[in-house]
Amino acid sequence: MKTRRDFLRSTMLGASATWTVPMFIERTFGELHEGARDLAVQPITGKDDTILVVLQLAGGNDGLNTLVPYADDVYHKARPRLAKKETEIIKLSDHVGLNGAMPFLGSLFKEGDLGVVQGVGYPNPNRSHFVSTSIWETADPNSHSSTGWLGRYFDNACPGADPTVGISFNKTQPESFGALKNPGVCLNSPELYRWIHSGGDKDQAEQFFADLNKPNRSTTHDDDDPSDGNSIAMSAGGKVGGITGEGNLAFLERVALDAQVSSKKILEIAAKHKTSVRYDGTPISRNLNLVARMIAGGMPTRVYYVSHGGFDTHNQQVNSHDRLLGQLDSGLKSFFADLKQQGNDKRVVLMTFSEFGRRVSENASAGTDHGKASCLFLAGAGIKGGLHGKHPSLTDLADGDIQHTVDFRSVYATLLGDWLKAPSIKPILGANYPKMKLIG
Amino acid sequence: MLPKAENSWTIFEAAHLLNRAGFGGSPSEIREFHALGRERAVDSLLQPTEALDAFPLPSWATKERALADVRATIESRIALRVAMREMSPEAAENAKREANKAMQQEARQRELEALSWWFLRMLKTRAPLREKLTLFWHDHFATSIQKVKEPVLLVQQNDLFRKQAFGSFKDLTQAILLDPAMTLYLDTESSKKGYPNENFAREIMELFTLGEGNYSEQDVREAARAFTGYQFNRREGKVYHNTRQWDSADKTIFGQTGAFTGKDAINLIFKKPQAARFMARKLWEFFVYEKPSDAALDILTASFLKSDFRVGPLLREIFLSQEFYSESAIRSQVKCPVQFMVQILKQLEISDPPKAFPLAAQQQLGQVLFMPPNVAGWDWGQAWINTNTLFTRYNLAGFITTSSSSNSLIPQDEAMKAKGMGPAKRMARSWKGPDYEKIAPRPLREKPADLVDSLVFRFFQSPVPEKARKSFLEYAIQKKGAIFTDHETAELCHLMLSTPYYQLT
Repeated sequence: MKTRRDFLRSTMLGASATWTVPMFIERTFGELHEGARDLAVQPITGKDDTILVVLQLAGGNDGLNTLVPYADDVYHKARPRLAKKETEIIKLSDHVGLNGAMPFLGSLFKEGDLGVVQGVGYPNPNRSHFVSTSIWETADPNSHSSTGWLGRYFDNACPGADPTVGISFNKTQPESFGALKNPGVCLNSPELYRWIHSGGDKDQAEQFFADLNKPNRSTTHDDDDPSDGNSIAMSAGGKVGGITGEGNLAFLERVALDAQVSSKKILEIAAKHKTSVRYDGTPISRNLNLVARMIAGGMPTRVYYVSHGGFDTHNQQVNSHDRLLGQLDSGLKSFFADLKQQGNDKRVVLMTFSEFGRRVSENASAGTDHGKASCLFLAGAGIKGGLHGKHPSLTDLADGDIQHTVDFRSVYATLLGDWLKAPSIKPILGANYPKMKLIG
Repeated sequence: MLPKAENSWTIFEAAHLLNRAGFGGSPSEIREFHALGRERAVDSLLQPTEALDAFPLPSWATKERALADVRATIESRIALRVAMREMSPEAAENAKREANKAMQQEARQRELEALSWWFLRMLKTRAPLREKLTLFWHDHFATSIQKVKEPVLLVQQNDLFRKQAFGSFKDLTQAILLDPAMTLYLDTESSKKGYPNENFAREIMELFTLGEGNYSEQDVREAARAFTGYQFNRREGKVYHNTRQWDSADKTIFGQTGAFTGKDAINLIFKKPQAARFMARKLWEFFVYEKPSDAALDILTASFLKSDFRVGPLLREIFLSQEFYSESAIRSQVKCPVQFMVQILKQLEISDPPKAFPLAAQQQLGQVLFMPPNVAGWDWGQAWINTNTLFTRYNLAGFITTSSSSNSLIPQDEAMKAKGMGPAKRMARSWKGPDYEKIAPRPLREKPADLVDSLVFRFFQSPVPEKARKSFLEYAIQKKGAIFTDHETAELCHLMLSTPYYQLT
């Protein structure tokens, strides 16, 4: 088993005699909660580990035009301009079908590798993009948690993991990665994910750079609290997580080290894999391509995070929404073909999510306003295909919105427990949510 | 009063004050500032002599022009609507779309001009604290162009923040109630008698004045009724209280009952002791450090109440206090992206950065002016930093320290060609870099230790950890060779800026 510490030792400044393992890394194992100490710690790296790709549909995806309840008259009446006709969709059952812009997901469904969870949401839904996104990312409907559900997975289930246990392809760290110890890394473009030195003697400069960007013993925080599953607790500060009481310099040194340590590996791996699969030029395809390259190169990453934006369709929704779903479909088609070619298709499960669905009725501008429950996709060979959960009623509404039939935390609990094999769900989600039959 | 700082007034303390109360400065600016002595330095910040209109607004943002523009837009909309009656439905739809597209393009262009105007003002101003406070208020009363969509309203709001920067927090809150951009941002317009919208009532209590836990849901509901009828008259460019749309019945807010207006509701909010404490804490955390002690906060709250919520006197007390110059304050704050960019330019004595620099850098580092992410403003402190933004900071430093003539690498570098670096590539072609003859005069380059110490003061204004200084020095010695060219000086500067320490101020 390779630990974060071994990883650091072997990849970074191996020859530097003055370099010592910083206290906070040294202590990682000692910090384990008493109860967790005896549990088998997951291997961090290796070709066999399962991988979760989280794909955010930002802006509030219109679930009703994604998974279309075509057999329901209420749907057609509520959306005279937007409703999809029976002939335009890919039927999945007598009641629902996929938006016709997603032929690949339709074929995946037939093969049994696409699960569609219907009516996903949470109690007392919030219609603000910001608050609702935060609720999904922190898995805390009060939106008070300073850490995210994936960050807590890294902290609790992947002790000793190197910083690339989670990689986000967003410019900023997604709230779901907020962690007390290991928030993963953010990466926008591998080519730029390095220190670009302009000078003559590059190697020499880089060595100095490396030296300056590793923690200084004296400023490293060496008094942090054990990880005891309390990380979901309230915090007064922002939402980046972070070790309680850690000073800003120690924090910066930690991020600098993570950046430096992950940079070399990411650059190497990004350059290594070349695929014959063609990807579109859209940002989502480009990012899925990067994820596939990282997986092919054998990154020890367990969770990747990508975003596909533009779903806030208040206006003239028909073309824009279909186009966005088409881009998603095309990106996923290339991605899964790529994984198959690599032989990694059985290791990867992808989950989509969006902060909320949209109102049942279309609005005056042929768009839809912020709603509540929506559907989400689970894709991959590891998934138990089919429709999951119950499609919400279009007549039993709350303020014009369909009501959730599945709590999203049940989906999280299932993926964490049955797919990522987290030894215990409670420290990650704060409670044990009933699992669903989504895997296998 | 907070215990006052001792009589000693070091150049490091002067630099610290200029960094926090402004955006730092070059070594000569810091020396000039230090020469004033502590009290006079603080007073120079609080009573700037620079005129409020020292930086002419973009032409479209002047009051007269803006009103004329609005009227012209309204006329052309009416004309379009008339013309559309004669068109086929498709042609009408098309004409409408074209008109919208043209407006969006114009708005986008103006947004860029506004952003660049303010950024350069921060860089060049002789009233740095006033600009810093304008940024503070912009974050506090966060309003985004993404929803407001009319850049001129954001620029006018910006002007309000600047004018009242040092004034009363209470007066500013009253002014915000009548601010057109805020009206659009928090949907006050649609809040009418019988149909109150709680958005403004909630945010004003939760985010602007009291903080969560200091009001009840009933207070929000009742106050929302008091805030009905505030409407933006576009032709006049003003928000009016339309009493016909106002709910004139009695409301009970914080246990008091009356036929309150929005103005009354704000007055009631400011009768709560929590309002003073809330803002005193926020100002302290912005200028000094997070989580002040309760004792210090008690003192500040009392002072703030005594000065009737005036920000100037409170800041004077803070900047003259011992705690402001304590070890927990100095060089402990993570620079926000705007601070990072303005400060780096000031330290390198660049007054005319490449045009695309402000926008490209703000976008990549996550703080675009006039575009806070939501009504809560930006997340500050450690939230600015992740592995990606840290590399971006290092590489922006690399770009700005290096002239394209001495560095053929930048335009051809495959990295710069990568997506997202388009503007950077364009600006790289003509970028001349800092004037290194001035920053590191030739005689200084003869002695690496002196060169390093001089640059350390320029960039950090305090000693860096011994290990780091040693690294800089070794690098300088190895680089020295026969002559220390501008190119090598640039490399040394870039190395110094590519450190965790440089992210702090």
